[in-house]
Amino acid sequence: MKTDLTIVGGGAAGLAAALSAIDPQLNILIIEREPRLGGILNQCIHNGFGLHMFQEELTGPEYANRFIEALKDKHIDILLGTTVIDIQKKTDFEITLTSEANGYQHLTSKAVIIASGCYERTRGAVQIPGERPKGIMPAGSAQRYLNMEGYLVGKRVFILGSGDIGLIMARRMTLEGAQVLGVAELMPYSNGLTRNIVQCLNDFDIPLYLSHTVTDIKGKDILEQITIQQVDDKFEPIPGTEKVFEVDTLLLSIGLIPDVGLFDSLQMKKSPITKSAIVDQTLMTNVEGLFVCGNALHVHDLVDWVSKEGEKAGKTAKAYLLEQKHEEKDLKSIAPGSNIRYVVPHLIDYNHLTEPIQCAFRVTKKMAQGQFKVVQNGEVILLKKAKHIAPAEMENLIIKPEDLKSKDPIEIHLEEIV
Amino acid sequence: MKDYIVIGSGIIGALITRTLSKYQVSVLVIDKENDISSHQTIANSAIIHSGHDPKPGSLKARLCVEGNAMYDTLEHELAIPLLRTGAYVVAHNNFEEQMLQELHQRAKQNGVLGTYFLSGDEARKVEPRLSETITKVLSLPSTKVTFPWEVSIHAISNAIKNGAEFKRNAHVISIKKVEDHFVLHLKDGTTLESKHVINAAGVMSDLIARMIEENPEFEIKPRKGEYFVLDRKAVGLFNHVIYPLPTKAGKGVLIVPQTHGNILLGPTSYEISDREDESTSREGMKYIKEHLKALSNQIPFDMIIRNFAGVRATSTYEDFYIQESKTYKGFYHVAGIDSPGLTAAPAIAKYLVEEVIRIDLPMKPDFDPIHQPIPLFHTLCDVQKQIEIQKHPKHGHLVCKCEKVTEQDIINAIHSPTGNDTIKGIKKRARAGAGLCQGGYCESEVLKIIARETKVKPNEVNYYAKNTPILVKETKTK
Repeated sequence: MKTDLTIVGGGAAGLAAALSAIDPQLNILIIEREPRLGGILNQCIHNGFGLHMFQEELTGPEYANRFIEALKDKHIDILLGTTVIDIQKKTDFEITLTSEANGYQHLTSKAVIIASGCYERTRGAVQIPGERPKGIMPAGSAQRYLNMEGYLVGKRVFILGSGDIGLIMARRMTLEGAQVLGVAELMPYSNGLTRNIVQCLNDFDIPLYLSHTVTDIKGKDILEQITIQQVDDKFEPIPGTEKVFEVDTLLLSIGLIPDVGLFDSLQMKKSPITKSAIVDQTLMTNVEGLFVCGNALHVHDLVDWVSKEGEKAGKTAKAYLLEQKHEEKDLKSIAPGSNIRYVVPHLIDYNHLTEPIQCAFRVTKKMAQGQFKVVQNGEVILLKKAKHIAPAEMENLIIKPEDLKSKDPIEIHLEEIV
Repeated sequence: MKDYIVIGSGIIGALITRTLSKYQVSVLVIDKENDISSHQTIANSAIIHSGHDPKPGSLKARLCVEGNAMYDTLEHELAIPLLRTGAYVVAHNNFEEQMLQELHQRAKQNGVLGTYFLSGDEARKVEPRLSETITKVLSLPSTKVTFPWEVSIHAISNAIKNGAEFKRNAHVISIKKVEDHFVLHLKDGTTLESKHVINAAGVMSDLIARMIEENPEFEIKPRKGEYFVLDRKAVGLFNHVIYPLPTKAGKGVLIVPQTHGNILLGPTSYEISDREDESTSREGMKYIKEHLKALSNQIPFDMIIRNFAGVRATSTYEDFYIQESKTYKGFYHVAGIDSPGLTAAPAIAKYLVEEVIRIDLPMKPDFDPIHQPIPLFHTLCDVQKQIEIQKHPKHGHLVCKCEKVTEQDIINAIHSPTGNDTIKGIKKRARAGAGLCQGGYCESEVLKIIARETKVKPNEVNYYAKNTPILVKETKTK
C-alpha cells in the first residue's frame, strides 16, 4: 500500500487533520484502532463540547459526528480496527499495521500525522502506598465501562485527583446511583475546569479536599477503605489530618500523558515535560514529514483546541506535501520563562514563517490577574493581560511574524499583577 | 485417594509436583487462591543467585548452588526465560573492600565458580551508571534472572502432562490422620484424601504444620519486601544484578534487570506481624530510593510504573526446614523458604523427593520432561508471525499495546491446561496490563474476551480472587 499522508488516530485531532489536509492531489489515510471513528469522544456522553468550534454545546459523540459527517464522500481512506505497530523513516515512512481482518500490512507514506491521543496516569506512577485490591482504576476506564459497556464499577466511590474526567465521573456515577464521597486534590487548586467543579461537584454536594492525597489503601481482595491526608507545601502528609472513607472504588484522575509509546523507532526528539515530540510552528518534529497534534502532542483542556491543532497539522502537512522543494529550516527555541511550565510549539522555523504562530502553554501558578510577555533579545515584543490564570487551563497566545524583531530565540513569561 | 497432595502452588510446590510426576504415583497440587503462585512467587527479586551469601555448610548454601545450575536444564525443559546477567557486589571503602574479600571466600567455600574482582573504574566501564563512590566490585558471573511465576506455571503444566492435577480455591482448614492416610478438610466443606502430604504453604506453612502437630520446630516470622518496577523502556540501563554488601536482614536494596526489559528496584526487609500484609508504604518507598544512592545516582525514578510488596516466609529455624513431620510419617514440611528459595527451588524439590522422602518407586517410562508453551506472538520472528496470523487471525488484533499482547495470546492464556479466567491471571500469563498504562486501555478488552471465552457475563469476570468482579451493577437492564 502507498499513500501520501497517513493520520494515526481517528479521534478529535485526527479527524480535524484529515479534513484540513484534503486536496485533489493527495491520497489521505486515517488509521483507527477502534471499530469506529471518534476516539475518546465516544465515551464522553456529557455535553460541553464545541462551544468554540461550533458555538454550540454538544455531547462527545455529537461533536465527533460533525467531523465524521463532514468526511463522508471526501477522498479519504479509512482503516478501522487497525493498529499501527511500527513506523520507520527511510526515504518515505514505512508503516506496519495489524488488524484481525487483514493481518499484518505494510504501508508507505510520504508524511505522517500522529494523532494518537493520551493515556491516563496510573497509581504506580504516583506511588500511592497500601494494598492492591480490585476497585482502583483510572477514571476514564470507569467511564468506558459505564458509558460503552453499561456497567457501574462500584457503589461507594472516592476520587483522587481533580482532573476533568474525575469530575465528570463524580457526577456520572452519582446519576447512576453510586455514592461519591469526595474528591482529593494534591495541589492547593483544582486541576479541572471551573465549570466542571461547579456542575459536577458543587451541584451534587460532593466535597473537594484541596491539598489532600490518598496515603493508605486497605482491602486484600476488594477495596475496603482509603485514608486521605492533608499535605504541606512540600506535598508531605501532615500527621493528624487523616480521614478514613469506607469505599469500594477509588477512581484516579491524576493526569494524562501523550500516548506515543508505539513510535519509538522514529527517534523523535521529546520534551521531558510534555513527554511528547518537540515541534516547530508547523507541528513538524525533528523527523522530516512527521507531525504530531492533539493530546498526543500535549494534553489540552478542551476538545475544541484539540481540533484546532489537528486542523493546523493537516494544513501544514498538506503544504509540506505540495511543496516542490523542501527548504532548510532555521530553528530557534520558544522557551518557557518565569511561571510557564511549557510552550508548544517548542521551536520557530524562521524559514517557514508565513503565518501567525499559535502558542499554547500551561502556567505553573494560579493568579487572579497577570500579563504574558514575549521576550526576544531581552526586549518585550508582545504583552497580553489575562484574568483567572490557572495551571488547569491552557493559555493561548498568537505571535504574528511582524511582532518578531529578529530571527533569534524567544521566551514567554508570566508576571503577576497585584 | 491420592498418593501425594502438595499444599501450595508457589514455585516450591510447583517444582515438587513436577518432580513427583516423574514417578508412578498420583499427585495433586492445591492452592487456596484462585490461581497458581499468588504470593511470594510473584513478589520477589526474580534472581537466581550464585550462592555467595548463605552460610557455608547450610542447606541454603548447598541447594542454592545446585539450584542455580539446575535452571540451565529447566530453561530447555520448561521453556522458561533466563537472563544471564551476572552480578556485581559493590564496596565503597577499605572496610567494605575487606568485607568483599570475606564474601569472596564464602562464595568459594560454597562452590561458586568464576568469581573475580574489578576496580570501581573497570566496573563502571561495563555498567556506566554505577555510583562514582564505588571502589571495588566482586563479580559473580553465574547470577541469573528468571520470571518466577512462569517457572511455576510451566512446571505445573508439565506435571499435568505427566498425570498430575491442580486444584485452585482449595483452602485447607484442618487435617486429620485416618488409618493410613490424611484427610484434608477444605473451607468449602469438601475433603481431599492422600497417603502423603507435602506442606509447601509458604508464609502459611507453620499454620498447616500446627494442624497435625502441637509444636512444630519452626515458626514463620514474616518479613516484608517492597519494590519498584521501572517501565520496560529502561531496558539496558543496567545489565547486571547490582548488590550492596549483604547484612543480617538480607541482601539489601538491589537493582535487578528483568526478563521482560523492566528493572526492579528493592527490596526493603522488615519483620511484620500480619503474614498477609502485602501493602506498600511511603516509608518503604523512601527507604529504597535512599539506599539506591550507594549503587547509582542515575536511576530514572520517573520511569516507575508500579510498586508492590511481597512477604518472605522467613522462619525461626535458621536454615530451610525440609523434613518429615516428627509426629506423622508421610507428612513433609518444606518451610522457611526465604531467599535464596527461588534459586534453590529445583534443588529443594530434588532433595525432598530423593533424600527426605527417598521415594523408592520406578520412574514413569513415558515421563516427558519437555513443556512447550505457546509463545507470545510478539516474541516470534517475522516469518513465524506471518504463519501464525494466517492460522489465528485474532493475532491481528493488538489488545495491549504497551506489552504488545494480541487477542489470540489472551485466548491461549485462558484455555491452556493451567490457564486462568481473571484479569490478573491473564496479566501473569500474557502480560496484558503489565506495561506503562497498567491496563488503563486494555483491561476492558481483556474482560470482554474472558467473558466470551469462558461463557460468563461481563460482571462475572473477576479481577483475581473469587467474587472480585470489576463490574458490580448493570445499568442498562431491560
